[in-house]
Amino acid sequence: MDKGLTVRLHQQAEIPLDVAFSVAPGEAMALVGPSGSGKTTTLRAIAGLYHAAEGRIACNGATWFDSAAGIHLPARQRRAGLVFQSYALFPHLTALANVMEALNDTPRETRREAATALLARVHLDGLEDRRPAQLSGGEQQRVAVARALARRPDVLLLDEPFSAVDRVTRRKLRRELAELRRDLPMPMVLVTHDLDDVTRLADRLCVMHKGRILQSGSVSDVMTRPASAEIAELLDLAADDA
Amino acid sequence: MDWEAFWLTIRLGGLTVLLLIPAAILTGRWLAATRMRGRAIVEAGLALPLVLPPTVVGFYLMIAFGSGAWFGQMFERLFGQTLVFTFEGLLLASLIVNIPFAVQPIQRAFEAVGPELREAAASCGLSRWRTLWRIELPLAWPGILTGTVLTFAHTLGEFGVVLMVGGSIPGETRTIAIAIYDRVQAFDEAAAGQMAAVLLLVSLATIAASYMLTQRIGRRYG
Amino acid sequence: MKSGAVLRFFVLSLAMLIPAAARAGDVPAIAAASDLQFALTDVAAAFKTATGREVRLAFGSSGNFFRQIGQGAPFQMFLSADEAFVQRLAEAGLTADEGTLYAVGRIAIVVPQGSPLAADGTLDDLAAALEDGRLKKFAIANPEHAPYGARAEEALRHAGLWDAIKDKLVYGENVSQAAQFALSGNAQGGIVAWSLALAPEVAARGAHAPVPETMHMPLRQRMVLLQGAGETARRFHSFMQEDEARAIMRRYGFVLPGETM
Repeated sequence: MDKGLTVRLHQQAEIPLDVAFSVAPGEAMALVGPSGSGKTTTLRAIAGLYHAAEGRIACNGATWFDSAAGIHLPARQRRAGLVFQSYALFPHLTALANVMEALNDTPRETRREAATALLARVHLDGLEDRRPAQLSGGEQQRVAVARALARRPDVLLLDEPFSAVDRVTRRKLRRELAELRRDLPMPMVLVTHDLDDVTRLADRLCVMHKGRILQSGSVSDVMTRPASAEIAELLDLAADDA
Repeated sequence: MDWEAFWLTIRLGGLTVLLLIPAAILTGRWLAATRMRGRAIVEAGLALPLVLPPTVVGFYLMIAFGSGAWFGQMFERLFGQTLVFTFEGLLLASLIVNIPFAVQPIQRAFEAVGPELREAAASCGLSRWRTLWRIELPLAWPGILTGTVLTFAHTLGEFGVVLMVGGSIPGETRTIAIAIYDRVQAFDEAAAGQMAAVLLLVSLATIAASYMLTQRIGRRYG
Repeated sequence: MKSGAVLRFFVLSLAMLIPAAARAGDVPAIAAASDLQFALTDVAAAFKTATGREVRLAFGSSGNFFRQIGQGAPFQMFLSADEAFVQRLAEAGLTADEGTLYAVGRIAIVVPQGSPLAADGTLDDLAAALEDGRLKKFAIANPEHAPYGARAEEALRHAGLWDAIKDKLVYGENVSQAAQFALSGNAQGGIVAWSLALAPEVAARGAHAPVPETMHMPLRQRMVLLQGAGETARRFHSFMQEDEARAIMRRYGFVLPGETM
């Protein structure tokens, strides 16, 4: 499990958290649960945007967070590609420049080329010079994905990636991401409350509630054999929501 | 028309802007994001010159600059001259009374950028300085422009503090606002009227230019 | 804008503004009582013609200048309307010497054109105007720090009018502002320096008459070179005592040392 992502977080105050899981390279894990279940907080803790009280986060052999050892790498030093729920694109920069900002490890002369290639990979060729306000919601989401991949991240993190687009666009984006995923070597963590996202994109599933993992396992196992009535109800709610 | 006073005032305004705005950018940025406990007190302190009468600010500055106070003594020892009734003293006073005019619009602008873009920048691996330079400054630009214009225009118009710490020494501390006052007392209403009109036009032009620029920026990111 | 360009702009602007702020040449700042507003401006012009040297004049109330000089204001010479201020500065060791008496000032009543008040130096008409309600506002300089204001108060007390007029007084920050108030048309008159009343700019706006010297303490005006005075200030100090300057001062109603009215 050296090459993958391992997460263990524990705290009582503010937002209660008690989670532990690991994701192998190339594997996708979905965190599912109602709002306030701690799934986004967990994702932010992995990205380095949230500092949990106790625990350990390691990715691809590097320790990002270890409360016992006093290690807490800031977000900019963690190779984590994060797609924000609202995308958080830089509004004054073009699609190309948004991606180029995240390419700061790439030599200056090849950045433009690399960013153009990334945008082509998410089917945005021809829209490089548009600013976010000139792009549709789906197009913005693809820029956000391209930007998250630009750092050549050791883990890809997606926070409700389709919540801001309509049903049709959502289906299309989901299909594209599933395709894209096949070539991605890193572990992926997906926060969602939509079971369709889970079945289409994830290999494994964690059901969270009030900061705790109620059940985890392969998607089909958890979906067909929920461990308790509470989990069945939560999954049901998620299905209704979608 | 007292051109000496006019250029002295422009110089005072220009230097105030050049020295104060970079500091206001750092302060405004810090205040916009900090969750420090004493933040409200710091903000209140910085806003004080806005609500205090110029005579109160002038009085304290006069005391602090004087050769009786440690600050005045220190300055005298360092630079071999006193602060009161000198251009340097006037500049220092101008920097202090303009703090809220510079910091507040800039702080509001950084607050409007919001924490999410800062997080996005961090997660893209951008350093603090690069985030400030590439993301926050371009987005906060209208606020910085407003702070700059307010500071400059306010320096042109400041009277009470200048009168108290500057006196009215031609070529040293006589700003255009003071020159107008002096000309009125010398029954020279023609010159006073001329200078008042020039001051009015310069202030109007400065503010109009900033509005035009802000509008253009607004269209660009819209 | 690239960071280099912004930095260059910043440094350039700073470089442009700084040297201009530095003072060049020996052009001393001279603090003068407001009653000298017109007389001293003429003297400075004559001084420039005679010597080619310039001075920078700042006019204000003597009491304010006294305080400012005590705090280290960079004046090289001080012409006070009241010799007491000069003597106190000398005691504090801030002056080059004891100073020199350069003039004795007179006060005058001024009334704007169309005022219901007459320009009567004995203040009799002022008393009558207070009785019959013609007087609404009357301007003098602030007696607390302006010597001409203090003498105006003495004259009003001497005439027995102080208690009656107190509520109608407007105070100028210095005697020049008091004259401006008196003649702006917003007051019916005022008591100010005669030297101001005699200036053409002021005389054109109304009428004036000197108040008898017996009604107040004399305004002994003393000038002094301050610590650090340079060559130009010294020359100006001597020039004040030469015939050309004395003639100008006389024209503005000052009584000069060694002369009587």
